[in-house]
Amino acid sequence: MEIKKMAMAGTLESSDIQIMLSAGTNGYEFELESDVAKQFGDQIKATITSVLQAYAIDNAKISVVDKGALDLVIKARAVTAVQRALEIVDTPNWEVL
Amino acid sequence: MANTTERLRRTMMFVPGNNPAMIKDAGIFGADSIMFDLEDAVSMAEKDAARYLVYEAITTIDYGDAELVVRINGLDTPYYQNDIKAMVKAGIDVIRLPKVETAAMIHELESLVATAEAEFGCEIGSTNLMAAIESAKGVVNANEIAAASDRMIGIALSAEDYTTDMKTHRYPDGQELLYARNVILHAARAAGIAAFDTVFTNMDDEEGFYRETELIHQLGFDGKSLVNPRQIAMVNKVYQPTEKEIRNAQQVIMAIEQARLKGSGVISMNGQMVDRPVVLRAERVMRLAQATNLVNSEGEYIGK
Amino acid sequence: MDTIRELYLTDKVSQKNWQTFLMARGISNFNQQEVASIDQTIGLYNEENQLVGTGSIAKNVIKFVAVCDIGAVAKGARFNQLISELTSRLGAQGIFHQFVFTKPAYVTSFKHVGFQALGVTELGAILEKGLPNIKDYLNQIPKFPNAKKVAGIVMNANPFTKGHRYLVEQAAKDNEVVYLFVVNADVSLFSTTERLELVRQGTSDLTNVIVVNGQDYLVSFISFPAYFIKDNDAIIRYQTELDASIFKQQIAPALGITARYLGSEPLSHTTNIYNESLQRILSPDITVKILKRATWDTQIISASYVRQLIKVGDVSTLAAMVPATTLTFIQNNLATLQLRISKGQNINGN
Repeated sequence: MEIKKMAMAGTLESSDIQIMLSAGTNGYEFELESDVAKQFGDQIKATITSVLQAYAIDNAKISVVDKGALDLVIKARAVTAVQRALEIVDTPNWEVL
Repeated sequence: MANTTERLRRTMMFVPGNNPAMIKDAGIFGADSIMFDLEDAVSMAEKDAARYLVYEAITTIDYGDAELVVRINGLDTPYYQNDIKAMVKAGIDVIRLPKVETAAMIHELESLVATAEAEFGCEIGSTNLMAAIESAKGVVNANEIAAASDRMIGIALSAEDYTTDMKTHRYPDGQELLYARNVILHAARAAGIAAFDTVFTNMDDEEGFYRETELIHQLGFDGKSLVNPRQIAMVNKVYQPTEKEIRNAQQVIMAIEQARLKGSGVISMNGQMVDRPVVLRAERVMRLAQATNLVNSEGEYIGK
Repeated sequence: MDTIRELYLTDKVSQKNWQTFLMARGISNFNQQEVASIDQTIGLYNEENQLVGTGSIAKNVIKFVAVCDIGAVAKGARFNQLISELTSRLGAQGIFHQFVFTKPAYVTSFKHVGFQALGVTELGAILEKGLPNIKDYLNQIPKFPNAKKVAGIVMNANPFTKGHRYLVEQAAKDNEVVYLFVVNADVSLFSTTERLELVRQGTSDLTNVIVVNGQDYLVSFISFPAYFIKDNDAIIRYQTELDASIFKQQIAPALGITARYLGSEPLSHTTNIYNESLQRILSPDITVKILKRATWDTQIISASYVRQLIKVGDVSTLAAMVPATTLTFIQNNLATLQLRISKGQNINGN
């Protein structure tokens, strides 16, 4: 699947994560800002990656600002961002949830 | 009436559906019911985000014994159907529909819930429903709404919109809500479901909060919708039974036990027959006593 | 819990309340231009309904941000809540590439919410967030890693004149590669597309000149919000230094630029300050070469003079001022250009 438009989900408040997606050409290109990037950076990327893969998105630029989000929050925000980027907000892909 | 064993529903705590910090901690305050809000607490631009956040929370976080409720967006909104699908798939205990005015609205909800249950392979009938009454029309139709479906577990008064509809606003003495409270309570009792009172939003007015909670306790409400976890202990305090009520209830429980041992279908105490309402009240008092740690696991009074 | 609500500056009481709040936090420049450009303003209110934070959006820029941390759940929580709301609101409008102009002291706070500093000076800083960003911009510009002498020129070229041509020619002669950045903002008599095209045509014979659209990074410094700076001379210094610092901190290192070429500006006070700022900020890492402006007869060749000639339709004098490529375009479009002027397009300024 191709990203149709840029999209963002999540907030910058404590326990949340803000994820911005845009079309890419070179696999997944991450930019991550997090106070816990050293410990959890890879895990955050892995969670977002698995959501992107579930939607069969091969290329994306992903800009992330983490504020200490739990895995479930990362997944929820990634799902929201992807559905916005694919313009399927009103007809979500229920299989991915 | 959905649940055969009645559960305590003293406190139904609102949790904004798009706030990860509050969703994460929602289980630690001991609310009887946790109500995730996809409606008024979420801006239009974030409806989808809140839906998936609540979905992930329900399917991931262990909220213990709390009953999990979600307030979806109204059926006149574009979010209504996707809210239903996501929450049924998540396995929510109760869907709360706002701004209910007719039984037909509950019927429509019920049919969409049943379709979603079939689609996602959930047990048909596993999702319960409740209605929030927020208008004069809703109050007038409270009876048919409360009895609209076997899935219904309760109806709630929502006073902000209701008082606006009535061309008034909320007052400290609550006179403006007297009629609606009584109508909703009667509709609930007649249908055998729970009645929830409205929220009290002024966190600085502790005295006012106690006054209102004591009033609705006196009337017979099961409990109250809450906006702040600090209010949970206050409601529980008002709902906690007295020592005398507990002693009476214990007597009734013992009478039931004796009748069971004798193999008798008739429960009697002090030469009187014990009616079913009395049995139910005794069971309810004991549940309240246990929930507020006034009795031990054996049902013996331990006081405070 | 704090709640965010609209703050309508059209309401006099709200505006006064807003100004008082900002002034107590060191923001005191409410000049017409800064305030009028605001598209929306939000307020953060505590449980007692007191204003404890505010921020505004003007196109793709976040400004007039101030927060009071007294009574907050955690230090920085209110700031994050505000910026979060502002970035979401911009995103909802399809604006994912966002800028902040602020005091240097707040750079760290903005970095914590995902902004990157593009330029930081003593007086102010510019940060960006989102995509495409400066990296994407620089990635699509051709690079010459083996070149030792690389120059940069920034121009609006409204339109491209013989004066511009002279500057570019000199730079092309002295250097292996010349990057010619054309300012992107579409507010001039000649549209951005027209300006870019005329620059390309007018330099097509100079093979070592690379014409690049300045996009969001090489802009007119006058457009930099200065709401947090009080006096006028300081504003120009802040704007010009910030412009220079973006060039120095982002553009030059990525492209290996070692010199910046400018035309001298004997007449404009503002441009003079700009040239001084460039020298102060860029030197000694980047050589600043200020060339004397080309003249025809005794007239300094300038784009603003060319625009006057277009207004009066003096094609024969124009022929002496602009290269053949630009002249052809003007001749073919004279009526259109004059119509733009008569419709109110400002032809003074640059």
